[in-house]
Amino acid sequence: MKKKILIFPFIAFFFILIVFFYLLVIERDPSELPSVLIDKKIPTFEAESLLNKKIFISKNEFGTETTLVNFFATWCGPCRDEHVYLKRLSNEKGLKIIGVNYKDDPNKTVEWLKELGNPYSDVIVDSKGLIGIDWGVYGIPETYIVNSKGIIKYRLVGSITKKNYNAFYSKIKKSED
Amino acid sequence: MTKTLLIFVIISIMIQFSSKISYSVEPEEFLQNPKQEIRARDISKNIRCLVCQNQSIDDSSAPLAKDLRAIIRTRVQENDTDEEIYKFLTDRYGDFILLKPPFKISTFLLWSLPFGFVIIGIFILFVHNKKSKKLS
Repeated sequence: MKKKILIFPFIAFFFILIVFFYLLVIERDPSELPSVLIDKKIPTFEAESLLNKKIFISKNEFGTETTLVNFFATWCGPCRDEHVYLKRLSNEKGLKIIGVNYKDDPNKTVEWLKELGNPYSDVIVDSKGLIGIDWGVYGIPETYIVNSKGIIKYRLVGSITKKNYNAFYSKIKKSED
Repeated sequence: MTKTLLIFVIISIMIQFSSKISYSVEPEEFLQNPKQEIRARDISKNIRCLVCQNQSIDDSSAPLAKDLRAIIRTRVQENDTDEEIYKFLTDRYGDFILLKPPFKISTFLLWSLPFGFVIIGIFILFVHNKKSKKLS
């Protein structure tokens, strides 16, 4: 009877070992946070538009089609890397992408878009990062999928890459279900 | 020998304490009203910096931490209650932004398990004592 009880700690130990090993093997980033805004309406805001020289009113821009909201800046290296994929989503898939220019120099951004091409239907100026805070942004680039009802369905923290492009696109398609 | 050792220990302890002082809050951020400043700092100490996730925004020099400190100070000046300020932050970043997780159904195990283990421990000790008493 006593010997049987002694086996128990070993079983518990191996169980914990397996759990830790599993967490090590699967692809995950523990520092990546789930957004609390998922399945909620987008935060409403009004801001200056960089390219159209008018006031961007969020109420008028969402709620008709699937829209991506991409937080970017010229000082952010990964933003430059993902730009080519944003262009693909805009040109090949015909998606509406709204860029939020996070704490950046507007002149540099205009130059940047001239150089790399513009995938955005509109670019909003967020010079103080306050729109970012309303959306729960903690590290750019971040891309939000907003469906045609104006509901946030997914958030990608980090850049769109060759590796996650297809998975990300399937999330866009799923956002209307 | 013991004297040098003692001096060494005292100096190490002093360094330890001095390094605890935070220099992240910059002078221009301070509020004029000392009471409000203390309140803002107390709140900031409970808010996690989402960039360096094991630091509070009071300790962190990350730009986002600075932005959040500024928001907290503006809201303190506008006489918002602590609850309103915490709600503003958790509405955007979730409970994870609080360094102390709130007591909820989802965190029930987190809060109750330690007490459970203490009770189990006391129970095991009790049974063990009883057995050894019997043997002796």
